[in-house]
Amino acid sequence: MKYAYYPGCASQTITKEYDSTTKKVCKILGIELLEMTDANCCGAGLITDYNYELSITLNARIFAIAEKMGLDIMTICSTCLMIMSRANKELKEFPKLLKKVNKTLEKAGLHYSGNVKVTHFLWTLSQDYGLDKLKAMVKKPLKDMKIAPYYGCHILRPSNALGFDDPEKPVSLERLIETLGGDAMPNEGKTRCCGFQIVLVTQETAVDMIGNRLKEAKDAGGKCMVSPCPLCHINLDSYQREAEKKTHQKFEMPVFHLSQIVGLALGMSIDELELGRHLVSPENAITTVVGD
Amino acid sequence: MTVKGCEPFLQAYDIDVNNGDTILDALHKIKDVQDGTLSFRRSCRSAICGSCAVNINGAPKLACKTQILPEFEKHGRLTIEPLSNFPVIKDLVVDFDSFWEKVHKIEPYLTPKESSAKTKDKDGFWIIKKQDALKIDDVSNCIFCGSCYSACNTMAVDNQFIGPAALAKVWRFAGDVREGNNKKRLAKVSEDHGIWSCSRCVECTQVCPKDVKPLIAIEDTRAKAIKAGIKDNAGVRHVESMVDSVKRTGLLDEATMTVKTLGFMRSLGIIPLGLKMEFHGKMPLPNLFKSIKGIEEVKKIYEEVEKKGSRVKAGTHPKDGWGS
Repeated sequence: MKYAYYPGCASQTITKEYDSTTKKVCKILGIELLEMTDANCCGAGLITDYNYELSITLNARIFAIAEKMGLDIMTICSTCLMIMSRANKELKEFPKLLKKVNKTLEKAGLHYSGNVKVTHFLWTLSQDYGLDKLKAMVKKPLKDMKIAPYYGCHILRPSNALGFDDPEKPVSLERLIETLGGDAMPNEGKTRCCGFQIVLVTQETAVDMIGNRLKEAKDAGGKCMVSPCPLCHINLDSYQREAEKKTHQKFEMPVFHLSQIVGLALGMSIDELELGRHLVSPENAITTVVGD
Repeated sequence: MTVKGCEPFLQAYDIDVNNGDTILDALHKIKDVQDGTLSFRRSCRSAICGSCAVNINGAPKLACKTQILPEFEKHGRLTIEPLSNFPVIKDLVVDFDSFWEKVHKIEPYLTPKESSAKTKDKDGFWIIKKQDALKIDDVSNCIFCGSCYSACNTMAVDNQFIGPAALAKVWRFAGDVREGNNKKRLAKVSEDHGIWSCSRCVECTQVCPKDVKPLIAIEDTRAKAIKAGIKDNAGVRHVESMVDSVKRTGLLDEATMTVKTLGFMRSLGIIPLGLKMEFHGKMPLPNLFKSIKGIEEVKKIYEEVEKKGSRVKAGTHPKDGWGS
């Protein structure tokens, strides 16, 4: 199993620990990742707001690089996943668009034929690797860990471009948590928005969204959350104190990256999981697994 | 159920269901036979009037377009509730007043500019090219059912937000080649609680029963507002810092983006958060020197697309006839 690995910009800076722990987990599982070190940013939708053609051509450059590598793309960021999937769907569906984009790409010495698939680490684990195989690799089951799954938006919607989980009733995170031996705590906010895209624009609105998501996870009995998206992680973890201040509540809700709960169950140490990089310490949430 | 003077509660009804029955059929059966007080809106029964949108197992849908059995099989239950983000009047009937106020606020009518010889046919009527009509085709299909407004994440915490339905309607006119009032129209929706408050959660576009794609309309409107030079807001600074960063380095430079979007003074306000992040090794540093190896390819793409500038207008999508 081998992928062109696209970590996304956030996991090369703020959430580096998501990138490095994904690499460690994949090494243990035997999933080979060839990092696309030369790939550009997907634009996160912001370039679409500026110029649609620029956005789709920049995404086509990413696909052209993967196509040259002869591999499908695996990302760990839901927003990269959604932006790339939307662009890829349009390029595959509209031959005239692909031709036009290629005209520009060729000026930069590139070409995309439309043969690359884009997937997310969660989907890779759930489908390509398989949960049975993953279960057999578990060394330290996440016993008594009450984990609130948090999907957020871009791994679910728009489903016509993504199509892995049903956006009305997603199950992949719950199944993964159960495979790892943890307790999945379903909560009504799991498919709602963390507000990342507006946290620098209308921070008040975003912080309200963050507060609601943390409250819903907590009310459902979650002692921690898991997110497949580094951007949701930034909001839910780094802005948690702001949400507490604004809503006059105490959450103390550690948020794990997807790779970290998998790594924990595979027996990786706290140091290897780089939990110290979180603003809300996850140490209390894992005592049932690693002891005090 | 909502009864005056009571806390809202859920009421269970048992009914026999036939294959193919819709949620609206069920509501009618209940009202006819079991509970004449049950209140809901409905009219056309063919997914065109937009009256009967309700939350079905948590997602806004048209009662007349949704069959009972597939819903029940998927969720193992059937919970029908009034739309979210609207005040409830009674049972499934919600108050659309603020929804309509917002639609009216965007001036939902054409203010045509003078047609020129180039745009007129021999009888003096505007000639609309197919690709121009296609640009506003999706948004013309809106039936004002309120599903997007109900699902909207920004609306849930900011009730002044103008909302996806009204914003899709903005593009209906801003994207019309005949519109002559765009500068004012775009300036108005660039204000607070307008286009830049959308958090891109994609709920509107996911739940729309008529495939209006409000998010794409919002993206198109944003691009058009930037092109029209309406740039004095954090939303545009956010976009422009991304566009610049990718052009310069190929990647997103989070630190520069923060300072550019917030402006220098407001950036000072997030220094405490920055310090906390720095303590955990998370503080992003400006990418002054680092860029991807293939940055020249990225610059070439920018150069080519920007060169075409006038040919590829804001709001250009495959639906404009690039495809087919």
